[in-house]
Amino acid sequence: MARSVLGRSTGPERAASAPPERGARVAHLDRDRALVEAAQRDPLQFDALYHRYLAQVYSYAYYELGDHHEAEDVTERTFLAALAGLSRFDERARPADGEGASTFRVWLFQIARNTVSNHRRGRRRHPEEPLAAAASVPDALDVEAGVATRDDAAAAWRAVGKLPADRRRAVVLRFVDEMSTAEIAGVLGKTEGAVRVLIHRALRSVARELGTGR
Amino acid sequence: MTFDRETASTDALLTDLYLDALLAGAVLDVVDGIAHPDAAGGPGPRLDPAARRAADRLRRDLVRVHPSFRFEERLATRLAEAAVALRVPVAAGAEGRVVPFRPSPGDPLDPDAMVPVAQEVAEGLLLDARRRPNGRPLLIGGALTSAALSIAGAAYVAWRRGRPVRDDPMARAARAVREARLADRASKVLD
Repeated sequence: MARSVLGRSTGPERAASAPPERGARVAHLDRDRALVEAAQRDPLQFDALYHRYLAQVYSYAYYELGDHHEAEDVTERTFLAALAGLSRFDERARPADGEGASTFRVWLFQIARNTVSNHRRGRRRHPEEPLAAAASVPDALDVEAGVATRDDAAAAWRAVGKLPADRRRAVVLRFVDEMSTAEIAGVLGKTEGAVRVLIHRALRSVARELGTGR
Repeated sequence: MTFDRETASTDALLTDLYLDALLAGAVLDVVDGIAHPDAAGGPGPRLDPAARRAADRLRRDLVRVHPSFRFEERLATRLAEAAVALRVPVAAGAEGRVVPFRPSPGDPLDPDAMVPVAQEVAEGLLLDARRRPNGRPLLIGGALTSAALSIAGAAYVAWRRGRPVRDDPMARAARAVREARLADRASKVLD
């Protein structure tokens, strides 16, 4: 079943800026246009895009690599590559483009994905171990509740860490980076339908792992 | 458990709709309508409860991680430097001029002829193409802002490219001696 790519909108950012009329639905995919054009005219203006997407790119790298230092390295390479290649970036988020419509964020995450892959090739090992940073979840005032929260988070992260790479990637992009299915499809080079199935199966696996499937 | 393709697609689509609403922080009854369509007004496909619970859990527990502010500032500085570097070639190109250039016609193999040329370039003079009828255009822009030695180097390269290249050992030795002399004289002239 096919749905229009351009009609999708998820996440608080897009929910807040989602235009009400059907004719303007493309706007959420074009939301970076002004910033991108400014940065293409003057590279110093890239700073605004950097601050908008730093945490997202870093989170993606961190969930992929499970190490803060490596995530920083990948984040740095990603943004430097994006800045260097920005003049070649061509937004294709127009209604006629249909599925696969491109945005700056999709393009940026494609760079991040390639950078992570290159990084992995460089270190010659694949991180299968669960993420170890669940302890960094901030404590609540209620110590007991805080511990429970951290335990829950650690369990959830472990469950995600056990997923096959493509499912884990899709889940992280969906839940952490709050991307739409269309955007994830653009980043991963898959169809929207394939991404939906990936995420659905990932959720069932996580449910089994967490014991919430019954 | 096995799913046929259509069932899997339908389940995946329902899950996707639920996630759209969940991640957008949609009104609860919309979410409940997807999760429990019977309650929302009619029979229909129902969201897999296990998938829904897992989605709720991941929504809560998969937090976005922010790098340290120290890293953020350091990378911002690095990007700003790179951005400035991206601007520089444009500025240098804008300053560059096409200079008709050829060494003295008296003795084209004499490196002494390069010295006055280097002086002229250093002073930013546009050489008269009519005075040097067989001149070759040469773009000199950024070279003028570099070290003085590179001015002589740019002049020499331009002159050398206009000449057929001899590649026997004697010619290479002669070229090495000339290069040394050229560099020495150019540095004296520009001191």
